[in-house]
Amino acid sequence: MTASSVGVQPGQTFPPRKFGPISMTDVVRYQGASGDLNPMHHDDEMARAAGYPASFSVGMLGAGYLAAYCTELFGVRTVRRFRTRFRKVVYRGEVLTARAVVRGIRRSGDTACVELGLELVDSTGAVVVDGSAEFLAES
Amino acid sequence: MAVMPIERGKIREYAAATGASRAEYLDDPSAPIPPTFLATVVFWDNLSRVFDLPETRAGCAAIGVVPDVRRLLSLEQEYVFHGDILHAGETVTTQLGLDSVELKEGRSGSMALVHFTVSFTDTDGRLRAECYYTSAFLNPIGGGE
Repeated sequence: MTASSVGVQPGQTFPPRKFGPISMTDVVRYQGASGDLNPMHHDDEMARAAGYPASFSVGMLGAGYLAAYCTELFGVRTVRRFRTRFRKVVYRGEVLTARAVVRGIRRSGDTACVELGLELVDSTGAVVVDGSAEFLAES
Repeated sequence: MAVMPIERGKIREYAAATGASRAEYLDDPSAPIPPTFLATVVFWDNLSRVFDLPETRAGCAAIGVVPDVRRLLSLEQEYVFHGDILHAGETVTTQLGLDSVELKEGRSGSMALVHFTVSFTDTDGRLRAECYYTSAFLNPIGGGE
């Protein structure tokens, strides 16, 4: 099996996708959906008391955006691994951009696995969530 | 341990909340789960009990970090899927366990990294998914500043 037979090449990138500007509605909708009701994400007074300028978005919302982005690219049933790290706090109003790069293609037997590097960056270019994922290649 | 039904409406809600617009998530009665969907396990299982386990407390004590949940940060989550991706209509049983506690020295002092896993087994007894979590307890006393 060659790289081209799975449709992608190492180093290949994809059109980025923008999310946001992040609103309070986006944050509380994710909190309700996920069950993470930590008030630091919707209670400005509490966040200020803890030294933050305002309440801030949920790390897993950014991870969810990256997941949505790469399932659009690679399909919804072929994901085998999805890893995210939370790097930077995101405040409301921020516009986030998801991007992905093919890090490699791993083969075993008749199957091939596309290894992706993922980044969600803010409007200054700072990485707010990064991660990696593996998708089975379409046969 | 908890029993967690994989529900179509919850998948649709979670997909909409994360900007996932694929028709399979929104319109398929057997919708597959989005990659981070198993975060919703918290509706069924109280994961914070991992921080109360004797082995977690012992691990923190061994490196001199106080496990105070008010100083707890989530750093990383990783999902691994086995076989067909879970879909609406299935039911899974969860299992929560501590993997390790390690000391990390950071700019603002020392912290305890707590690695734990939630595994998801289907009604046929097959392991279908695992979630690896890394959380950190920041040390309020005796830090490295």
